[in-house]
Amino acid sequence: MPTRSRLRLPALDMPLLLAALALVCLGLLTVYSATSIPGAHQGLWTRQLAWAGIAVAVAWVVASIHYRAYDALAWPLYIIAMGLLVLVLLKGSSAMGAKRWLDLGPLHFQPSELAKVATVILLARCFDQEKIDLRRFKHWFPALLIVLLPFALVAKQPDLGTSLTFPVILIAMYFWAGMPVGQLLLGLSPVFNAALFFLTGGLWWSAGLVVVLLGAVRPRLATLVVVVLLNFCVGYALPHVWNHMHDYQKRRIVTFMNPGEDPYRAGYQIIQSRIAIGSGGFKGTGYLKGTQKGLAFLPMRHTDFIFSVVGEEWGLLGTATVVLLYALLVLRGFRLALVARSGFASLVAVGVMSALFYHIMVNILMTIGWAPVTGLPLPFISYGGTALVANGIQIGLLQNVAIRRMEL
Amino acid sequence: MLPSKPLRERRHQRYRLLVALTLTGFGLTLLGLVRLQILDGGRYAGLAKENRVRPEVLRAPRGTIYDRNGELLADSSPSFGIVFRPFPAESTQRALEAMSPAWLARVSALVELDSAEVRSRVNFANLSGQSAMLKHDAPFAILARVEETRSELPGIEVQLEPLRRYPHGTLAAHLLGYAGEINGAELDTLKDAGYQPGDLIGRTGVERRYEDVLRGRDGVEYVVVNARGRRVSTLKESGELAPVPGQDLVLTLDLKVQRALEEVMADVPRGAAVVLDPRDGGILAMVSRPVYDPNEFSHGLTRARWKQLSEGGANPLLDRAIQGVYPPGSTFKIVTMSAALSRGVARAGTRFAPCLGGLNYGGRRFGCWDHRGHGSLDLIGALQHSCDVYFYQLGLKLGLARLEETAKALGLGARTGVDLPQEARGLIPDAAYYDKRWGARGWRSGLLLNLAIGQGELLLTPLQLALMTAEAAMDGRPLRPHVVERVGRAPAFRPARPVQPGLPADSAIWRPVKEGMELVVAAGTGGAARVPGLRVAGKTGTAQNPHGQDHALFVCYAPVDSPRVAVAIVIENAGHGGSVCAPRAGAMLRRLFLPDSLQRPAARPAPRDSARRAVVDTGVVDAD
Repeated sequence: MPTRSRLRLPALDMPLLLAALALVCLGLLTVYSATSIPGAHQGLWTRQLAWAGIAVAVAWVVASIHYRAYDALAWPLYIIAMGLLVLVLLKGSSAMGAKRWLDLGPLHFQPSELAKVATVILLARCFDQEKIDLRRFKHWFPALLIVLLPFALVAKQPDLGTSLTFPVILIAMYFWAGMPVGQLLLGLSPVFNAALFFLTGGLWWSAGLVVVLLGAVRPRLATLVVVVLLNFCVGYALPHVWNHMHDYQKRRIVTFMNPGEDPYRAGYQIIQSRIAIGSGGFKGTGYLKGTQKGLAFLPMRHTDFIFSVVGEEWGLLGTATVVLLYALLVLRGFRLALVARSGFASLVAVGVMSALFYHIMVNILMTIGWAPVTGLPLPFISYGGTALVANGIQIGLLQNVAIRRMEL
Repeated sequence: MLPSKPLRERRHQRYRLLVALTLTGFGLTLLGLVRLQILDGGRYAGLAKENRVRPEVLRAPRGTIYDRNGELLADSSPSFGIVFRPFPAESTQRALEAMSPAWLARVSALVELDSAEVRSRVNFANLSGQSAMLKHDAPFAILARVEETRSELPGIEVQLEPLRRYPHGTLAAHLLGYAGEINGAELDTLKDAGYQPGDLIGRTGVERRYEDVLRGRDGVEYVVVNARGRRVSTLKESGELAPVPGQDLVLTLDLKVQRALEEVMADVPRGAAVVLDPRDGGILAMVSRPVYDPNEFSHGLTRARWKQLSEGGANPLLDRAIQGVYPPGSTFKIVTMSAALSRGVARAGTRFAPCLGGLNYGGRRFGCWDHRGHGSLDLIGALQHSCDVYFYQLGLKLGLARLEETAKALGLGARTGVDLPQEARGLIPDAAYYDKRWGARGWRSGLLLNLAIGQGELLLTPLQLALMTAEAAMDGRPLRPHVVERVGRAPAFRPARPVQPGLPADSAIWRPVKEGMELVVAAGTGGAARVPGLRVAGKTGTAQNPHGQDHALFVCYAPVDSPRVAVAIVIENAGHGGSVCAPRAGAMLRRLFLPDSLQRPAARPAPRDSARRAVVDTGVVDAD
């Protein structure tokens, strides 16, 4: 009998599963609370409950198919996902000035969620080779192209917050697949360059950084040439181009980098969110007793700003619990990557986990005013069907890795 | 398949780094939460309880517009508006209460708006958290009533706001344009540019063309208010944005010239006049009639008044100086003459068959405006007396292609590129145009006779007429008319007009033209424009108008030896240019060039008088 039950629940990663389920339950409770005020959105929690059920089922299905199948289907999956991203640009329905959704009959579908998973799977397939050496140009460059395509397509929607998930995934998987940290930093140096230019207006800092890195890493010639060229382009061209742009062009770029539809409203949302979280104090106002969440001025209180409702009603006890559950989830995910049976599985785990980690961080830091307002939902908790099902897929993939970690 | 070698190698090391990163990230988050909820928790709890934080838009004052001498033409002055302030603190419930039918009815009566409009603005305010402007520049009576009924009308308040002001009223109204409150459709398309409800946006004229530099950028601050809606303090912590005022504009306009032009055009029901500085193409004055008062738009127009302005027969919103097109009539003989001289078709002394009051061509009789005939004239004399028969013959010798090329090289029949919106092109027909209209070979050179004297399909804007005159004054130097001299402290960007082939730009070509134009005023059809002690060169025109009475035209420049103004006046359905327009040009030039003591005591010289005097002086009955 014990053997049978073992077969029924084969080596699931229980802490990961329970953490995810706990977060979904917390999410349902909070969505119920956030939409309990008379007015728009009331009663949305029933739909969220239905979506949670679907997400669990999807996770089950994704977990039960052997990951070898995903490995084999990596390219078709990727191509379909890219096709959908193109389709959304052509025919998508827009919300708040961005085209993010595909209408499938009664369903709204956000192809960028699928693209994330597909990209992770394809990258894992590419990096899972006996002789992979990411110090070599021909090994790391194709991966860059694979990621650039969805990045550009999602950025074009425009959805900068989501599009940045792709480089985050790439960096994490480069790292896990064995790229030296020094080289990784070197590759990122043009980004530092650009950031430093916008922050300080000067480039001496980053020039010094690049020189130090080059000395430390001693990369191969092709890599060296590309890095220096990129840095030169960014360092030389950026200020030039910037200074020659018209004001309205600059404004577009600034708006693009601060995608909180309009700066006035975004700043206000952050203030409201901080007041809500801060007023929760240690114990919170009590479930369903939050006063701030009722403000019509936090229009995304059940989606992007749901963490503010958690903070107000459950105080630091609630927020710390949520943060610790997330920490448990992420750490278990990375541990799965360590113990995974195959390279592919290990890489998938890291890719999936890094995307989740990025979403969690950006959303929570946004609600406390430490990150810009982006349209990223809080995984497992925010209202939204596509995102929840996507989270289900991610958990399913991780459990898939967990189930088969003992295979021969 | 087991993980590959690079994956297995130093795997634990990398794993530890990942764990460290994760812990750092979540640790940081916890730190932020502890700070927010424990350390600052009390303060935020206070804010949440009292809790009235709302964004206040800090409106950027719109740039001021000055004339070339620093005289004020448009600025923003403080005024009181009536706004709806949403309730950030109270629940949605309370906000809904405020929208009760009774409330809505009282408020809409108070601000004189229909209740659907009030409802939509209030709804938007409740969604966005920003104040909604219900009435601009409210009169004191309404302000007083708002203060009285404050407690009964939650959300309604008085707010200080900058009001666009045009201190000279209708003066240069079309050129300055007006700025009105942005509407819903514009908001949707211009959201990226940072527009918000209640913002002003330039709709016509300079206000529209230079909207980008005039508007500046609104700022925002977050204020804490008490239960009665009074400001208690300002939140400094995030998102504060200082407003950036719009840049000031200095126009080429000269208030003195504009006033003089407005005065002589005051009694004109429909028409337009432009004064250019021929030295650089700067617009010194521009008038279009009928006129409106742009201040009306600052206060917000009622629907009825807007309808009256935009749909009335005379269409006062149309800037006839750049959007009205008119057949140039005999003023176009300047172009015909310069074309003939530059192509060597005729010289100053060339004589054709004498004018006997008409010319038979192609089986049709083309009459001269003076049926008695002018006799034998040379080219200069033909311009002086505006002899049609002479110009018919000149046109035939010149041919369509060369006439059209010269006209286009002078900048006619295309937009002049003036920095004002919605400029009309006008029309200089060419062979392709006639082929299209009548079919190839479907038209005869007979129409050339009409073109040569400025009739037929030709259409020019008053600005183009002034440009033509200025170019004559400057021996054909290509000019680009413009109205803004400086933006902020920098000179306005102005690309030079390219020199086109066929441009007569030789003083030898223009000398006879200018001589003829001076004679037009000294002893020809434009005698009414004479000014004692000032050499004026001009040309009258009377354009046949199939829809009604002839349009009257006059162009001139002065002083002849060093031109400083080039003038074009068009008056619709007024008859003869020499008797209607020339006296007004003369009156204006007197105002500008004669010392005050030499002017007549009456503020406005009576045009009829001077016209009669012109008849006596020159012996010419009337212009063409």
